[in-house]
Amino acid sequence: MTDAALSAPAVRRSFPLGRLLWPALLVVTIVLVNLPNGALPAWMTKYPAAWQIPTAAWISTFMRWLMEVASFGLFTVRDLFRAVAWVLDLPLAAAKAVLAEGIGWGRGADAVTIAPAIPWFSALIAGVAAAYKVGGARLAALIGAGLLYLAVFGQWAGAMVTLSSVLVSSALGAVGGLLIGLACVRWRWAERAVSPMLDLAQTMPVFAYLLPMLILFGFGPVSAMIATIVYAMPPMVRVTIIAIRAVPDEIRELGAMTGCTRRQLTWKMLVPSALPALMVGVNQVIMLSLNVVIIASMIGAGGLGFDVLSALRALKIGEGLEAGLAITVLAILLDRFAQALAVKTGRPPERDEQTARRKRSALQAAFMLAGALWILAAIVPDIARYPDALKLSTAPYWSDLVRWINVTFNATLDAIRTFAFLNLLAPAKRFALALPWAWVVALVVIAGLRLGGWRLGLGLGALALAIATTGLWQVAMLTVYLCGVAVVVACLIGVPVGVAAATRPRLWRAVETVIDLLQTLPSFVYLIPIVMLFRVGDFTALIAIVLYAVAPAIRYAAHGVARVPPTLIEAATMTGCTRRQILTRVRVPLALPEILLGINQTIMLALSMLVITALVGTRDLGQETYSALAKADVGKGLVAGLCVAFIAIIADRLVSAAAAKMKRRRGLGA
Amino acid sequence: MPDSILAARGVAKLFGARPERFVTDGRLSADAAALSAAGIVPAVIDVDLDIARGETFVIMGLSGSGKSTLVRCLSGLTPTTAGEILFEGRDLAKMPEHELIRIRRHQMGMVFQNFALLPHLTVLGNVAFPLDVQGRPRAEREARALEMIKLVGLGGREDRFPRELSGGQQQRVGIARSLAVGPDLWFLDEPFSALDPLIRREMQDEVLRLQGLLKKTIVFITHDFDEAVRIADRIAIMKDGRVAQIGSAEELVLNPATDYVRAFTRDAPRAKILTARSVMAPVAGASDFAGRIDAGSRIASFAHDVESSEKPFAVVERGEVIGVVDRLAMIDVLVGRERKVAA
Amino acid sequence: MLHQLTRAMTAGLVALAMAGTTGAATAAPESKDPIKVTLHDWTGQLITARIMGETLKKAGYNVDYVQADYLAQFAGMRTGDLHVAMEVWATTAKEAMDEAIAAGGVENVGETGMQAIEDWWFPEYMKEKCPGLPDWKALKECAEVFSTPETAPKGRYLGGPVTWGGYDEERVAALDLPFEVVHAGTDAAMFAELQSAYDRKAPILLWIYAPHWAPIKFKGEWIKFPPYEKACYEDPAWGVNKDAKYDCAKPRGPIYKAVWQGMKDKWPGAYKAVKAYTFDNKEIGELAAKVDLEGQKVEAVVDDWMAKNEDRWKKWIQ
Repeated sequence: MTDAALSAPAVRRSFPLGRLLWPALLVVTIVLVNLPNGALPAWMTKYPAAWQIPTAAWISTFMRWLMEVASFGLFTVRDLFRAVAWVLDLPLAAAKAVLAEGIGWGRGADAVTIAPAIPWFSALIAGVAAAYKVGGARLAALIGAGLLYLAVFGQWAGAMVTLSSVLVSSALGAVGGLLIGLACVRWRWAERAVSPMLDLAQTMPVFAYLLPMLILFGFGPVSAMIATIVYAMPPMVRVTIIAIRAVPDEIRELGAMTGCTRRQLTWKMLVPSALPALMVGVNQVIMLSLNVVIIASMIGAGGLGFDVLSALRALKIGEGLEAGLAITVLAILLDRFAQALAVKTGRPPERDEQTARRKRSALQAAFMLAGALWILAAIVPDIARYPDALKLSTAPYWSDLVRWINVTFNATLDAIRTFAFLNLLAPAKRFALALPWAWVVALVVIAGLRLGGWRLGLGLGALALAIATTGLWQVAMLTVYLCGVAVVVACLIGVPVGVAAATRPRLWRAVETVIDLLQTLPSFVYLIPIVMLFRVGDFTALIAIVLYAVAPAIRYAAHGVARVPPTLIEAATMTGCTRRQILTRVRVPLALPEILLGINQTIMLALSMLVITALVGTRDLGQETYSALAKADVGKGLVAGLCVAFIAIIADRLVSAAAAKMKRRRGLGA
Repeated sequence: MPDSILAARGVAKLFGARPERFVTDGRLSADAAALSAAGIVPAVIDVDLDIARGETFVIMGLSGSGKSTLVRCLSGLTPTTAGEILFEGRDLAKMPEHELIRIRRHQMGMVFQNFALLPHLTVLGNVAFPLDVQGRPRAEREARALEMIKLVGLGGREDRFPRELSGGQQQRVGIARSLAVGPDLWFLDEPFSALDPLIRREMQDEVLRLQGLLKKTIVFITHDFDEAVRIADRIAIMKDGRVAQIGSAEELVLNPATDYVRAFTRDAPRAKILTARSVMAPVAGASDFAGRIDAGSRIASFAHDVESSEKPFAVVERGEVIGVVDRLAMIDVLVGRERKVAA
Repeated sequence: MLHQLTRAMTAGLVALAMAGTTGAATAAPESKDPIKVTLHDWTGQLITARIMGETLKKAGYNVDYVQADYLAQFAGMRTGDLHVAMEVWATTAKEAMDEAIAAGGVENVGETGMQAIEDWWFPEYMKEKCPGLPDWKALKECAEVFSTPETAPKGRYLGGPVTWGGYDEERVAALDLPFEVVHAGTDAAMFAELQSAYDRKAPILLWIYAPHWAPIKFKGEWIKFPPYEKACYEDPAWGVNKDAKYDCAKPRGPIYKAVWQGMKDKWPGAYKAVKAYTFDNKEIGELAAKVDLEGQKVEAVVDDWMAKNEDRWKKWIQ
C-alpha cells in the first residue's frame, strides 16, 4: 500500500514523457529506414566485417581440441563422454527390449531371444488395467481406445520405439530436473549458475546442439535421447524450484523439530509434500520430449518420428498424418495418465474393503492374463503380430483431399498468397532489413531502460550487440521479420478467439481441442501439405508458425478474461453496463497483463518453430543452424543458435517487464 | 529459578543486513533508533526468561509483537542474533549439530499453527513420522502412534489422510505427533488460531486434560488472552519485541507493569483470574461465616455461593482464616469496579 | 520393429544353417562388433544401404543401421562411430568426403556404378508454354511463364536445400538467366511442390536428381545446359560467358562408397564386400519406384531382391 502511495506521483510525473517517447522513437525509426543510401555512416547501417568476432571458429576449434586432444591423463575427454553415453544407453536399451525389440542378447547371427517384445494385446490389457487402477473407468476407456488406434492403424511398432525413448528420456529428465532443482533450492550459487543455462536451453533451437551432441556422445539413439533431455528438462528444474520453495515453512520447521537430517528433510518431507506440483513438471517433460520426436529421429531415434519423416519425404501425406496422429495419441495417453497419477497421489484409497478386494483381484487377473499372453506369444510368435488384414488406413483419402483442394481452389489460394506477400511479408521484410543495426541496439537499450531500468536496458543491449558481432545481423533480422509478422498474425487471430471463448464454455472446449491438437501434432505433418498448397517460401513458413504459436495467445487471453474477479463483474453489472461494455471496459483491460504474457509465449513458440520452417526454405537463423548441422560446423550452429536464444531472451524480458509494469499500475500485484 | 528447563538470556533477533555489527560480547549494543536508522527490523529484543520444569508457560502478544520469532529462537529453529538459549543449562547455539538433532528427536515436540501435516501420509504415518525419522522399526513406531492417536481421541481414523479430516481433528493429529516421542518440552505455536471459536475451546480443554495426564513443560504461544488465562501457569506479554511483563494471570491483572499490560487485562474475565486471596477483606473480628473458601480458589468457582448468601465467607489458608469475602466484594469484581485489594 | 527383429532372426538362422551345410560359403567374421551402415533420407540410398547391410549379415557380420545426416556423417566416420556410407554423390558430397579423407579417418572405396545426375528439370507440359525447351536459351525468353509474385518479372527456379550447394545463383548470373533461385528447405518440400504443380499442370522449374523416383513418376526433361567440363567450374574464360565460372550444366558423376579407415583391419572381409558392391541407375530406380510409387516397404523390397539375386550378392562376399 505504502509503496503504491509513494510511487504514484512519480508515475504521474513521468507519464507525459513516456507518452512522447514511443511515438518519437517510431518517427525516428521510420525516418532512418527511409533515408537514402549513404545518408548514414556505412558502419551504422551494415555491421563492419572488421568488427566481427570469430566466435564460431573458436567454438569449432575448441570442440576439435576437446574430442581429439583433451585428456585427463588416464583417459580422454572423449572416453568420458562415451562412457556417459554407454551408461545412458542401458535403460534405453532395456526399455526398447521390453516394448519394441524383444529381450535377449547377442546380435545378428548369434542373437538369442528369450522373450519377444510385449505383444500389442498384452500391452493393451496391461495398459487398460493400469489406467483403471490409476484413473478409473474413463481413463481406462481412453487408454484402451488410444492403444487400439496404434494397433489398428499400423503404428504399433513405431509407437513402441518412440514410447520407450520418450519414457526413458522423460524419466531421466524428470529425475535430473528434480535433482538440479533441489540443488538450486539448497545453494544460491547453483541457482545463479543454472538459471542462465536454463534460459539458453529453453530458447536455443534443438538443431543448434544436435551436432555437438553427436560429436560428444556418438551417432545413434543415445545422442538423440540426450538432446531430448536437454530440451525437456528445464521446466522440471523451474517447477522443482518453485514447488519446493512453496512447501510451507511449518513443514520445514517440523522437520527441524523432529530432528530430521537434511536428507530426511528433503526426501521424506519436502519432495513428497510437493509431489502434486512436481507432477506438473513431469507432465511438461513428457510433452516436450514428444515435441522433439521428429527432430530426434533425424539423428537416429527411429520410431514414429522417422515414420512421419519418411512418409512425407515420399509425399505420402496420409501415412505421415496417421503416424503424426499416433504421436498425438501417445501424447494424450501419457498426459492423461500422468495427470491421473498426480491426482491419485493426493487421493485417499478405497475405503470399502470388499470393493477394494474385488478391484484388486480383477487387476491381478488382468495383469496375469497379459503376462500369460506374452508367454504364449513367445511360444507362437505369429500371433504377436497385429494381422495386416485388420489394419485400417485413411491415408489415400488425405492425399486425395490435398490434391482436390490444390486443384479446385488453386486460384483462391494463390490470390491469398499473393495478397499476403505483397501487402504484408514483402514490406515487413524490406523494413526489417533497412533498419540500421546500431539503431536497433539503441532501441533495445531504450526499451529495456523504460520498462525495467538500467540493468535490464544495458543487459539486453549487450545481447543485441552480441548478435551483431557474430556477423549474422542480416540473418537475425530476417528471423525477427518472419517471427514478428507471425506473432502479429497469431495475436490478431488468437486474442479475439480467446476473448470470445472465455465466457462460452462450449466454444472453449472446441477451441481447446483444436489447439491441443495443433500443439502435439508434429508440425512437419501439416508443413508439407501447406507447401503443396502455397509453394516453398515465407508464406508457407508463416502459416506453419502461426498454427503452432497461436495456442498460447488464445489460452492466456481466455484465462485472463475468465479470471477477472467476479465482484468487479457484479459491480459493472450493477452500474448498468451492457455485456459488451463489461467485456471492453472491464474484462479485456484487466486481462491485458495476462494477454501480454500470452503474447510472450507466442513469441517463444514462434522462435522455436524457426528450425522447422527452415525445412521449407526460409533463410533465417533457423536455416543457419540447420545447414550448420548438415555441414558438421559446430561453431556456426551454436553461434546461430545462441543468436536465436538472445532474440528470445530480449523479447521475453521486454514483454515480461511490460506485463509486470502494467500489473503494478493496475494494482494487481506483480 | 532452581529447576529451569529452558531459559533465555538477553536474547535478541534482528532482521536486515549484517545485524551482527550491533552485537558486542553476545549482547545487543544498540538502541531502537540506531537500528531503524540502519534499516534493521528488531523482532525480539533483550528477552530474559526462565521456564520451570512442569509449568505451562504462555507467551502472549498481538501479531508483530515478536512472539513467533521468540518461540523459534527458544526451540532453536532460528539462530539468535544475540544472547543465549539454555536448554537444561546448555546453550543451544553452541551445541554440535548431532546433539541438537538428538535433543529434538527425544526431548522436544512442537505443534504448529497450520498443523504442518504431511499430505502424502495417513494419520498413522503422520503421527509415526518423528519415530520414522529416528529409524525405529515399523511395528514399534506404529504401536506407539496408535497409542497417541487413541490418546487424542482419533482412534479408528488412523488410515485417513489429513485432507479427509476437519481442522480440529487435524490439529489433534498434530498434537498426537508432537507427543509421540514423549518430549519433555512441548512447544505449541498458536495451535488453535486457525480453528473456529467453539472448536478452539474444546481443544484447550484437550490440552488441559493431556497436561493433567502427562505433566509436560509447555511453551504455548497465543494472541488470545482468554486462552492464555485458561491454560497458563505464567504468562509473558510481549510488545514490540520485548517482554512487557511476566507473571501469573492474576499478577498481570492486579499489578500491570505498563499501560499496555493494563489495557490488555482491563477486559479480562476477572472472576476467572482472581483468587479469593486477592479480593478478601481483613477479618473484622470473629464473625459468623456462611462457609470456608480456600485462598487459592478462583472467584468464578465460589461467586455463586457468596452471592446467594447473606453472610460472608471465610478465606482459609493452611487451616487458618486469613480474610473474608462478602457479596459486595463479589459484585465489585464482577462489574470490574476498582477497589482497594490486598496484594 | 517387431517384424524387423523376427526377420533379423530368420536371417540369422538362415545364415547359421548355411554355415552348417556349405561351410566354406561364408567365412567367420573377424569381429562381432556391429558394422554401422548409415541411412539417409532418400529411398534409393535406403535400398543400397540395406542391400549392403543384409549382404554383410549373410556373411555373418553384425550390422546396425544408423540414421545419419548425409554430410554430417563424415564427422562420425572420422572417429569410427560410423563405418559404411553407401552413397556419396560426386555432385553433392565429394568436397565433404575429400575434406574428411584429407583430415584422416575416411577412405573412398570406389564407385558404386551408379551415375548421379543433378540438374534443372521441367515437366513435359511446359514445352507447350515454352516451346524452345529443353534448350537452356529458351529460358531467357519464357522467364515470365515461370514467374510468381515474389520473383516477378523474373522466373522462379526452385533450388535444392541450401546445404546441397550446386552454384545455382552463380549459374543464373553467368548465363544471364532472368531467374531467381528459391531454395527449398528439404527435398520433401521440393517434391511436394512438384507434385502440387504437376497435379495442376502449373509452371515449375526445379532441381531434380537421379537416381530418384521423381523422373520416373513425372514426365519431364532436364534442361540442356552447355555440358559440364572441369574447366567450366575453374576457369572463367571457358564457355559462353568469358568472365564467369559455372556457365554450364552441373557435373554428372559417379556415386562413391566411403568407409571408416579402420574397417580394413577390423573387418577385412566386410571391407572387401563393400568394395566389390556395384549397382546401376536403372535397377536402383526401379527398386525405389516400388517403394515410392507402389507403396511397398523398403525392407520388403530389399528382401525380395536378396532372394532373387543370390548370385550377385554372394559374389561380393566371396
